[in-house]
Amino acid sequence: MSELTRDQIRDLMGEVMKAQGKVLPSDDSADLREIGFRSLDFSELALRVEDEIGDELNFDAPGLRQIAKVGDVLDFIEQLQSA
Amino acid sequence: MSDPTHVPPSKVVLVSGGSRGLGLAIVTDLIDSGVKVAAFARTVTPELTALAEKYPDQVHVGPVDINDEKAGQAFVKEVEGKLGPIDGIVNNAAVGQDSLHVHTSAEQIANIIQTNLTAPLVLTRFVLRRMMAKGLKGRIVNVTSICAQRGYPGLVAYSATKGGMDAATRSMARELGGRVLANAVAPGFFASEMSAVLGQTQLDQIVRRTPTGHLTEPEEVVPVVRMLLLENTNINGQVIVIDGAAGI
Repeated sequence: MSELTRDQIRDLMGEVMKAQGKVLPSDDSADLREIGFRSLDFSELALRVEDEIGDELNFDAPGLRQIAKVGDVLDFIEQLQSA
Repeated sequence: MSDPTHVPPSKVVLVSGGSRGLGLAIVTDLIDSGVKVAAFARTVTPELTALAEKYPDQVHVGPVDINDEKAGQAFVKEVEGKLGPIDGIVNNAAVGQDSLHVHTSAEQIANIIQTNLTAPLVLTRFVLRRMMAKGLKGRIVNVTSICAQRGYPGLVAYSATKGGMDAATRSMARELGGRVLANAVAPGFFASEMSAVLGQTQLDQIVRRTPTGHLTEPEEVVPVVRMLLLENTNINGQVIVIDGAAGI
């Protein structure tokens, strides 16, 4: 299965937040702490992406700790897909 | 006449993962204590090489991957030929982990278990067989971790291996019937090396919750390892936590 586009990843991120009654801002510079997107939410997003692409996206935690903004999440998932 | 129930101090100690950090500190301390030391690691560092060059009759080092069973056995035989029969082993070699369980591949989990649990058990078995065949008594010190007793994110497989070694330590003490004293030291998080996996926020939190106000340093673990190898204490089958009471 092919990689997801940045927009498709963003849609999935929106679904993760919607399931918690939250809204994903359109601005990539939005702060994750302010919008309530936590590390386990990132895990859920990564697992949803895995489902879509049919492959595992395993990664170590240090990269995860650098993620602070919505754009960082999208960048990280994009990089994982192409790794 | 020696007491038949007494396990004498170790004279020749094998240290796995002895090239840096706690392993290197243990090697250095044992040399200073007059013990003959054999140390191996995947890569022999300049520091370890320097010790071997400085103390050629007391130290033997080599590049061995603990997962390479045959190489480990060959190294043990080399050590016996050069320094004499091994009557002490410090299982220190280990790989760390820094990944949530759901994002850790099955291969990575298998590697952590192989390196941190299976390999030291296999190496210990080999050394014990040779020790017992010679009628020797001896001592085992397993370096485990506070992770075996308390939960930390990102360390699921690692913690499982350390808990496994703690459990093995107790069963070894029973099984070896006092001929071999088997104990473990369980350090808290060091400020360096594997603690880097926790991230500064988690480390700061651990320091705040530690009554002694600081993370464990290798120099604080070394005397306990020395005691377990060299002193007459009757400590057997124990896991000694060295974490400034962070875990209580």
